[in-house]
Parts: sequence; structure tokens; C-alpha cells
Amino acid sequence: MIVANNNSLLTKNTSYKVVLPFYGYAALSFLAATLLLFTSSSAFTQHYFHPQTLAITHLMALGWGTMIILGASHQLVPVLIEGKLFSNVLAHVSFSLAAIGIPLLVYSFYVFNIGELAQCGAILINAAIVSYLINLAISIAKSKNENVHAVFVFTAALWLLLTTLVGLLLTYNFTLTILPKDSLYYLSLHAHMGIIGWFLLLVMGVGSRLIPLFLISKYNNRKLLWWIYSLINGGLLSFIFIFLYSNQTFYFFFPVIAITTALILFGHYCLQAYRQRIRKQVDDQMKISLLSVLMIAVPVIALIGIVALLVVSGQNIKLVLLYGFSVFFGWITAIIFGMTFKTLPFIVWNKVYHHKSGLGKTPNPKDLFSNKLFIGMGIAYLTGFILFAAGILISNTLILKSGTIFLLFTAALYNLNVFKILLHKPQTA
Amino acid sequence: MNVTTNSNIKCSLALAELQNVMDPEIGLNVVDLGLIYRIYFDEAEHTISVRMTLTTQFCPMGESMTDAATQALQQVFPDDKVQLTLTFDPAWNSEMISEEGKKYLNK
Repeated sequence: MIVANNNSLLTKNTSYKVVLPFYGYAALSFLAATLLLFTSSSAFTQHYFHPQTLAITHLMALGWGTMIILGASHQLVPVLIEGKLFSNVLAHVSFSLAAIGIPLLVYSFYVFNIGELAQCGAILINAAIVSYLINLAISIAKSKNENVHAVFVFTAALWLLLTTLVGLLLTYNFTLTILPKDSLYYLSLHAHMGIIGWFLLLVMGVGSRLIPLFLISKYNNRKLLWWIYSLINGGLLSFIFIFLYSNQTFYFFFPVIAITTALILFGHYCLQAYRQRIRKQVDDQMKISLLSVLMIAVPVIALIGIVALLVVSGQNIKLVLLYGFSVFFGWITAIIFGMTFKTLPFIVWNKVYHHKSGLGKTPNPKDLFSNKLFIGMGIAYLTGFILFAAGILISNTLILKSGTIFLLFTAALYNLNVFKILLHKPQTA
Repeated sequence: MNVTTNSNIKCSLALAELQNVMDPEIGLNVVDLGLIYRIYFDEAEHTISVRMTLTTQFCPMGESMTDAATQALQQVFPDDKVQLTLTFDPAWNSEMISEEGKKYLNK
């Protein structure tokens, strides 16, 4: 008998071929970053403008954080905007350009030769971000629905482009004097555009949609989200203005207050979504995602300390290192851990079992990875994070090295689980 | 759950089978989730018209779930043509979950 489906409202998901390379690349970048951390842990007892520290930071920010977020956002943007992704080709272009550009840049930092290779890498990364932004802008423009989450994501992508453009200028500034001051001076401007404008805004935009969705929560508060959006962007814009036009370090408290308020409001949003959830059982992946929201407190406290010391006595290198470490290895890594295993198994399940739905028993998406490995990874991660953070604060190379061993183990377990999912073969009863 | 139908007996058979179709993320079946809005049986045309929704319009598992629901109904009514239509009017909300579903999620 003929089976007919009239599902004109059902738009096909973004192809797995677009999304999966980003996940695989990010997982390997994380492993490479922890390996570099293991071999270069002593760099974290010195100034943050250190070749190996710069290489690890860029590998974490671009290869790990940005690549996985770009991959996931190609899958999640259609959910957020309730419309289709404009172009799979642009997504492939974006991946290919970034995948070549990132190692060129990271290698240049590692050997501290910020010449043509670094510039070439930075140009490729910028081209990748432009492709992503065009794809995102057309997808949003074509969608009939306007929503606050899409505005967060689009603004975050604009900040990402600004970050990488400033990064490109800084690589040229190493060899040609095109900026009034040296590249080190602009480092905090470049870093905060990326951390606050790109990562924080994007995580909040996507998280404010997905956390209530996964918890099946009744909570929704668009007005609060608009407040958070304004505080983050207002805080960041005021930081840039103060950085460029004022020499009063005290004024830096204003953006810190604005962004801290936004974080408290976001914490409140997540707490309300959690309290009003219908699904009482919270899985381990959601637990680590919610934990990442709490982990934002570490860089915030470090940042307040940095600004306070800047006003009183001068820059505190240890706090700056702790701040950077807790952003990339703390908050961003924790949320990626949670969200990887909330999204990747479903993407692969759709790829492998889509044509088998209803034709026999198939495994659940959750069965595609090992939860035991996930829990082991979580324990190793928290141990490594605490040890390394303590090692930075007391400048102890032995504690730093022990922390890196746990973090390297974490990355190995993460990669095992990710590649277990990516290489999953069909199993039907 | 409030499923509109023109044949209670056949609808019960259909819903019993649809209870095997799960939302893999939530771990609850499409009936208790309240995703099935209407099941109509056209005896003359041998057609079953199903109207259902998804928890979110761009649910990544949407196509798998609608395909599984169609296959499930085809197994109970092999001589009928199954016409499944997606609707987002009204949009799904958590109040549509059945009492059994809420109990399961509350565990």
C-alpha cells in the first residue's frame, strides 16, 4: 500500500556532511592543545605573551571552541530561526578555510615567527568567518520568524569577525608598524572581543533556547534576554571606548559591572528554567552544561581582581593567566563537553538510522557513546582544571604538570567517545 | 490527551501502535507527548489521515519521527493509505503532555 506524507512544514536538517567535520576537527584540536599544554606547562609560570601560551590559546579559541561552535551552529541555527540554513556549500567553504588557516597561525605562534605564514593563516580564518557570516545573515533574512536567540547569534558572529580582523591587523603589526602601539598593547582588546562578544554572547543566545528545550521547561523570559543582550554589548562597547580613549583604569569597572550583571541575570534565567522544568531527571550532559554556567564565576572573579589590582598597583600576570585558562579550559570547555553529547549522537543517529525508523528496533542516540567514559572524562577534567588553576596561582611547575596529565587524559577520553559516535555502524534487531 | 477522531475503536488501535514511536531525546512516546492531534479514517477511500506536531518546528529528529509514525500505522492498517500531515497550529507546549507522560518525566 502506498504511504503518503504531506510534510511541507518539515524542512530537512542541515546535512551531516556539513556538521561532522567541524566536530572531528575540534576534538583533535582539543587533544593537540592539551598535548601542547603538557609539553609547555612551565610557560604558565611566565608572562602570558609567551609563544607557547599564545599557540595554546589560539588552538583552544579557534580550533576547539570556534570550530565546534561553528559546526553546531550550522545544525542549531535552523532550530533557532525556524528556517533552513541558506547554503551547505558556504558551510564547507567556511570549514575548509578555517581548517587550513588555524594550524598556520598556531604554528607561527609556537615558533614565534609572526610573518607571512601567520598572516596567510589569519587571512584564511577571516575568509572563513566572512563565509559563515554571509550564510548566517541570508538564513536569518529568509526566515519568517524573528527572535531574540537569532539576534544573539548574529551579533556574536559580527563580534567574531571584528575579533579576527583585529587579529589580522595585529599579525601585520608585528612586521609592519601599522598601529600606533605594539601588538601586545592591543591583546586585551582582541581577547575580550572574542571572549565576550563571540563566545559569551553566542553561548547565551543558544543556551537560552536549548536549556529550557532540553529540560522541557515552561520558563520563557524574552524581556530578560534583551536586558542581558544590551548589558553584554553595552559593556563590551564601553570597554573598547575606555581602552582606546581613556587612560583611567578605574573606568574599566563599568564594563565589568555591566557584564557581571548580565551573567547574574543569565544565571537567574537558567535557574528559573531548571526550577520550572517538567523533566525532573537531568542527564550528565545537561549537568555539565549547567555546571559550566557556574564556572563562569572563576574568570569573573579573576577579572575583578585584575581590574582592582590594575587600579591599585599594576598588572598581575598570574591572575591574567588564570583568567584566560578558566575561560578556555573552564567555562567554554565544560559547555562544549555537555553540548557535544547532546547534539552529536542525534546528528549521527539521523545519518545512520534515518531510513530505518519504524522498521525495527534501533539503538537510542544516547547508546552511541559510552556514558561511563563521559563520567570518567568529567572527573579527570575537574581534577585537571583545579590542579592547573592552583598551579598558576602558586607558580608550581609540578602541580601544573599534574594538571596537564589529567587534562590530556580528559582530551583522550573525549576523543574516544567522539570518534566512537562518528564511526558508528548500523545495528538493528 | 485530546486526539480528535471519527472512529474510537480504530483510533485506540492506532494510538496503541503509536505508543511505540519514541522521541529519542525525551525518551517518551509521541502519544503521551501530545504530538498526535487528529486521526481520521476514510472507510470508502481506505485512507487514514493523521495530523501531528513536533516539540519544535526544526526538531532534528522530526523526519525520523514522522516516518516512524507512518510506518507504525501502516503495520496496523496494511490495507489503508496513511496520510500524515505536520502542523504547528497550535504549537506544541508542555501542557499537552499526558498525565502518564508527566509522571514518567517526573520520575
